[in-house]
Amino acid sequence: MEFFDRFAIPHPSPLIYASMVAIGLTVIAIIAGLTYFKKWGYLWREWLTTVDHKRIGIMYLLSALLMLFRGGADAIMMRAQLSVPENTLLDAQHYNEIFTTHGVVMIIFMAMPFIMALMNFVVPLQIGARDVAFPRLNALSFWLFFMGAMLFNISFVIGGSPDAGWTSYFPLAGNELSTSVGTNYYMIAIQIAGLGTLMTGINFIVTIFKMRAPGMTLMKMPMFTWSALITNIIIVFAFPVLTVALAMGTMDRLFGTHFFATTNGGMDMLWANLFWVWGHPEVYILILPAFGIYSEVISAFARRNLYGYKSMVGSMVIISLLSFFVWVHHFFTMGQGALTNSIFSITTMAIAVPTGIKIFNWLFTLWKGKIEVTVPMLYSLGFIPIFTIGGVTGVMLGMSAADYQYHNTMFLVAHFHLVIIPGVVFAMIAGLTYWWPKMFGFMLNERIGKWTFWFIAIGTCVAFFPMFISGLDGQARRMYTYSESTGFGIWNMLSFFGAILLAIGFALIVYNIYYSIRYASRDIGDDPWNARSLEWATHNPVPDYNFAITPEVSSSEGLWDAKKRGHTLFKGPYKEIHMPSNSGVPFIMSAIFFVFGFAMIFSMWIVAIISAIGIFACMAHRSFEQDHGYHISVDEIKQTEAKFGGAKE
Amino acid sequence: MKELFPFKQVMGFVFSLVLTVVAVSVYFFDLSFALGMTILLVTAFIQAALQLVVFMHAGETEDKGAIYANLYYGIIIALVTVFGTLLAMIWGYM
Amino acid sequence: MKLDHTQPLEYSTKQNQLNILGFWIFLGAEIMLFATLFASYFTLEDRIGNGPSGGEIFGITPVMIETILLLTSSFTIGLTVNAMRIGNKKAMLTFFVITLLLGLAFLGVEIYEFYHYVHVGAGLQTSAFTAILLTTLGTHGAHVTFGLFWGLFIVSQVKKRGITTETTNKSFIFSLYWHFLDVVWIFIFSFIYLKGMM
Repeated sequence: MEFFDRFAIPHPSPLIYASMVAIGLTVIAIIAGLTYFKKWGYLWREWLTTVDHKRIGIMYLLSALLMLFRGGADAIMMRAQLSVPENTLLDAQHYNEIFTTHGVVMIIFMAMPFIMALMNFVVPLQIGARDVAFPRLNALSFWLFFMGAMLFNISFVIGGSPDAGWTSYFPLAGNELSTSVGTNYYMIAIQIAGLGTLMTGINFIVTIFKMRAPGMTLMKMPMFTWSALITNIIIVFAFPVLTVALAMGTMDRLFGTHFFATTNGGMDMLWANLFWVWGHPEVYILILPAFGIYSEVISAFARRNLYGYKSMVGSMVIISLLSFFVWVHHFFTMGQGALTNSIFSITTMAIAVPTGIKIFNWLFTLWKGKIEVTVPMLYSLGFIPIFTIGGVTGVMLGMSAADYQYHNTMFLVAHFHLVIIPGVVFAMIAGLTYWWPKMFGFMLNERIGKWTFWFIAIGTCVAFFPMFISGLDGQARRMYTYSESTGFGIWNMLSFFGAILLAIGFALIVYNIYYSIRYASRDIGDDPWNARSLEWATHNPVPDYNFAITPEVSSSEGLWDAKKRGHTLFKGPYKEIHMPSNSGVPFIMSAIFFVFGFAMIFSMWIVAIISAIGIFACMAHRSFEQDHGYHISVDEIKQTEAKFGGAKE
Repeated sequence: MKELFPFKQVMGFVFSLVLTVVAVSVYFFDLSFALGMTILLVTAFIQAALQLVVFMHAGETEDKGAIYANLYYGIIIALVTVFGTLLAMIWGYM
Repeated sequence: MKLDHTQPLEYSTKQNQLNILGFWIFLGAEIMLFATLFASYFTLEDRIGNGPSGGEIFGITPVMIETILLLTSSFTIGLTVNAMRIGNKKAMLTFFVITLLLGLAFLGVEIYEFYHYVHVGAGLQTSAFTAILLTTLGTHGAHVTFGLFWGLFIVSQVKKRGITTETTNKSFIFSLYWHFLDVVWIFIFSFIYLKGMM
């Protein structure tokens, strides 16, 4: 019985108990439903073992949407707690757990998979390929992310949630001051998910370099694909830093080492340093695909090609390198001298320049365009002013001497939310709306979509602008309450109201999905937006093999050429198509990783060793495997294409 | 037999041994820190380049552009990370 | 599967080229992994707490032996790939096995080294310096260990299936991995051991 004590929650509350019950009931309902409708075989064959980038993309998307609600629930609770002074909704411990999980979930388990979802679904189609370079590895990437997310998400009901912030600084994150297993969950779940992300980085770089359609030189790629390439380059060089940092943190907590300890020579600042060497490139990993989406959407709905293609590419290349040169700006106030801080101040201000170039290019694209205000375009138009405001406050923060005033106040919180939400979240919703018809065969409702935009855009501003003021007035971040005499009350109440507007907006997204599934027409053709790039040259729904014949292009707007300038995309006869086989190994190996992670978190060494052996066994199996996929015959292709009423465009 | 021991590989191996011996000299001779570190930096980077180009055939295929870009990126970012860390944590710390 | 006969076998199919490029990119990531370990090492090098410093525990002899073993194994894996390219299966397997044996010998010396360190009071938990020292050396050693198993699997596949597009591709990629581990060792040798013993 003592063995089970370790799984108890150190700081229970009625809400946590209710969640335990809810989670239990949900799991039972899922298992019962699958059994009753006899869908286990379907689930295994079509989803758990798939290596198809389109399916993997959809699974990432579903995960991201679920995590959006987990992170959003955290946010509403925080805003409610802070809406009035000396509120008693959440005590300090629970507040700490909630802001920690809010940060980790939103960045690592919502934004990252959302980006992965769109990259996975769209990039191979945009370059005219049939899948990514390493489909099996792609599946492994997803399942490792999924298991990492699942592991992190059960922390608050088994063993205790991490509570040292999403940045988990030492010595707070060490054993002495964080006695529950919560921080172990942090170190290990993120590690597992991070491995998946690194694999995706490698996968997409090779895919984009080597699998483009004939005629598509690098400088003729769609801008979203360029942003994906640059993002994945950053991933490859940034994530290993996190791997090492998390491993050292794990060792400090589980094996008594003194990397970040306060005794025996340990250096707690080293954690902050290594975390941010990864952490700053990470925020560019989040924003660059968003920029790519804006380029696509603005160009599509301004009915003209993107202004300044070359400088768009150049600015992203510069950002990719500079993003590794600015990290110290996240801890200007933590002991460095003026020279160090000044150097990083300069690099920080320098990196604002390429982003500024991009904003001007979008404005110039809009300037001479024929603007059609669809839902994706609305988000792009809303992004530009709000992100610019958030961005210039970033330059303010980047001035190290001034940062002593702003650091770790609500001013900082306002800054990063006002770049991440209009930057990343708006782009994800815009991208989702834009590519939804290609993914699912029907459009999301335009009217509901517009209402959603206004709730989210206004909600964002109302929630976060007041934080600039309360931050300058002195309200610190990560504080669970404040006294009435500070005068912060009015600003926090406004923020709470904004959070409610945001919540309504996100609820409308769910409603839109439900409404559209029920009522939207399925007869929308292949190219409902009258768009410009190759992913719209596929059928609806997209067949397994994407393109029956590999397209050939001669400009950066292959489909537009085909529609308006008589270019032929698909030349030549049908040929046999080679496809990779499904495989259960990615799912199984990731499940074993889950067990391994869980065992490590709770110091169950024997289970950890056995599951580690299992992981290596999966790798050995892969080494000896000789499954080279299967072929789709020309007849089968002809049949499938005939169903769509002919392929050639 | 000669075809089993190609010239490039053998010369590369011999040169690596020479560079290693030169590096070890910092242990056997009483050199200043600056001189010792310079010798180590030079020998280490030359030997690394040797491995990459001669042994690993980095420049052999049509992908050599991507491969070299990858290596340069990695080395630049690695150096900035190492020296930036030392600056922020030790040299530039108050 | 289209074979490009102008290329060595390990590059001759599209998937083979993808695999090799993918592995080079992975090595880029590994550069950053070891760079982070080195950055941490240099930061924590003098933070010896109550434990010993590098100069007090490093010995030139085991370090030289490890270096010669690994350098030679890098030479022999080069000979392996060369034998593979001229289609000599027997020579290829011989050089491959020699490489793995040299790697095993390297590991043996390193394990003895670690045993020695623990005995003179430089264990994993002693100080920040010992933690980062053993973690950096240990990460490299773990990579070598992984390589020994991986190499063994490839040897057995070459033995059974011969010199094919798959086995040449795997062997070439293994050689990239093995050479890279030697590159990392060069930096460990220079900037951990020699620097610490200057």
